[in-house]
Amino acid sequence: MINIERLVKDYGPVRALQGVTFDVPSGQVLGFLGPNGAGKTTTMKILTGYLYPTSGRVVVNGMDVTEDSIEVRRSVGYLPETNPLYQDMRVDDYLEFVAQVRGLRGRQKKAAIERVVSICGVGTVYKKGILELSKGFRQRVGLAQAMIHDPDILILDEPTSGLDPNQIIEIRDLIRSVGSNRTVILSTHILQEVEATCDRIIIVATGQIVADGTAQELMAQLPAGSLEIEVIGPAESIEKQLAELFVGGSVVRLPDAKESDSGVRFRVQVSTQMDRHAKEAVFDLITGNGWKLLTLHREAASLEAVFRKFTLGEGNGSPAEAAEAEESAESVAVAATSADTSPEERSAEGSSSAPGASEGGE
Amino acid sequence: MSETLTIMKRELRAYFLSPIAYVVGSAFLFIGGYQFFKLLFFEYGQTPTASMTGYFAQLPTYFLVLAPALTMRLWSEEKKLGTLELLLTYPIRTRQLVFGKFFAALAFVGILLLLTLGYPITLAYLGELDWGPALSGYVGALLLAGTYMAFGLFASSITRDQIVALIISVVFLGVLEFMAQRGMVWLSPGWVDFLHVISPGQHFNSATRGVIAASDLIHFVVFSGLFLFLNGMVVEMKKKVG
Repeated sequence: MINIERLVKDYGPVRALQGVTFDVPSGQVLGFLGPNGAGKTTTMKILTGYLYPTSGRVVVNGMDVTEDSIEVRRSVGYLPETNPLYQDMRVDDYLEFVAQVRGLRGRQKKAAIERVVSICGVGTVYKKGILELSKGFRQRVGLAQAMIHDPDILILDEPTSGLDPNQIIEIRDLIRSVGSNRTVILSTHILQEVEATCDRIIIVATGQIVADGTAQELMAQLPAGSLEIEVIGPAESIEKQLAELFVGGSVVRLPDAKESDSGVRFRVQVSTQMDRHAKEAVFDLITGNGWKLLTLHREAASLEAVFRKFTLGEGNGSPAEAAEAEESAESVAVAATSADTSPEERSAEGSSSAPGASEGGE
Repeated sequence: MSETLTIMKRELRAYFLSPIAYVVGSAFLFIGGYQFFKLLFFEYGQTPTASMTGYFAQLPTYFLVLAPALTMRLWSEEKKLGTLELLLTYPIRTRQLVFGKFFAALAFVGILLLLTLGYPITLAYLGELDWGPALSGYVGALLLAGTYMAFGLFASSITRDQIVALIISVVFLGVLEFMAQRGMVWLSPGWVDFLHVISPGQHFNSATRGVIAASDLIHFVVFSGLFLFLNGMVVEMKKKVG
């Protein structure tokens, strides 16, 4: 159980965290999303006891990270973004060292090392120097190091960055399996990763939480998806008729496709009311006019779009559509621009923009 | 205590894996050995003395380079590799880290000094060695290296560049010892006395004469303690500042 309350961190004159508040219940796998410099790593460094907060409270299993730093560190395992390892050591020596530092001795230590070696699959490189290892194996050693004391809380800062697709899937599976019985906080840029592994997502931007909920809850806040249409026929006329069809939506003409036999292309933003029959309506319109339909493709609301919306304040459609967007989206936009309001106001906005905050954990 | 020991063991082991430790260690043994036998057989003329004084007189100069070279990577490399970020999230107190690193460096110098025990043994074989000053000289040498390395460790904690740490230590310690020895020409007597009190080299000199006075031990504890304390402060400050 982690409680973070109005957490502020200054690096000199730069305020990296501007009063972040959230709770993580035991056993949850939380994905921490946000652009570079948003404050993900800073939050994690404070949780692990590496940095002290400037103000605010961070309580881990009932212990304050500044007052009971050593005790908090006992219950937390950490894999930093850069996965720093002692290059001059062998894997076995390194794990032995970490186990010792973590206070494990004798039979307990042996069992702990055997356990992480088998969970993380580093048995084949156990006697090798860390310097010789491939990036994938180094990441596994980093994970083994973080889990050697079987911590309640595992904090993983971009655990799959720099890995190849096979390794990413392996590490992701590993995280999912170790996350089944402990709290995991992981940060990433890869959105499929949070979709694949996390129970809950928190998006941070410029040191504040801008969204909080499950992947489904966050995607539900986006306007309905868009259609991509490619058709052979008179461009102006098609555009006009599409616009008449999608009142409240928007029609954008896309640059022509490169192939010589292709037609004009449009992207249509579908309003929520039209959503269910949008494809049918487009098909009827085009065939009814005797034009030739080449492509009719539905772009579903994606986590990418969620990410862009919350971190850039970017809507998924035209200004008209954005104006129509749901209330929650507006309050999020307010939260993102209210850097200088008081923490009370901010946390109030934060919770109104985060309908999933409380349900996410149960 | 056991955490301190764990850190010390890792660092001591790292010395035996690091080329720098081998290079400076063997340079110390080679140059020291050459000088020792040169003094013994060629400089003392007809009647060589069975005394370690000549060898000990050179140790401060050697340690001026040896000690900073052994401590320079202890913090700066952790910073450069980023391993400090992990180290500080393990359940170890900062002072345990500082002591672990310090005693590892001290143990390595201890091993090097053990390897020079051949010299007094040679002297005892060839003549009548007075073991008292020889042994107190060795203890003094270890304390001298300790004070130098306490500063070197502190210097290493304020930079991520080993070479910068080395230069800071050599310059600071070199100037301190030079002033304590030669400063009397242009410094007021008060300053000279002060420098004599704080200079590690001056305390070592008295140890080579066969006495380790309480004041020498106090000097070691205070001088090393001060810089180890500052070292811990630097590490803690970094957690606050980020």
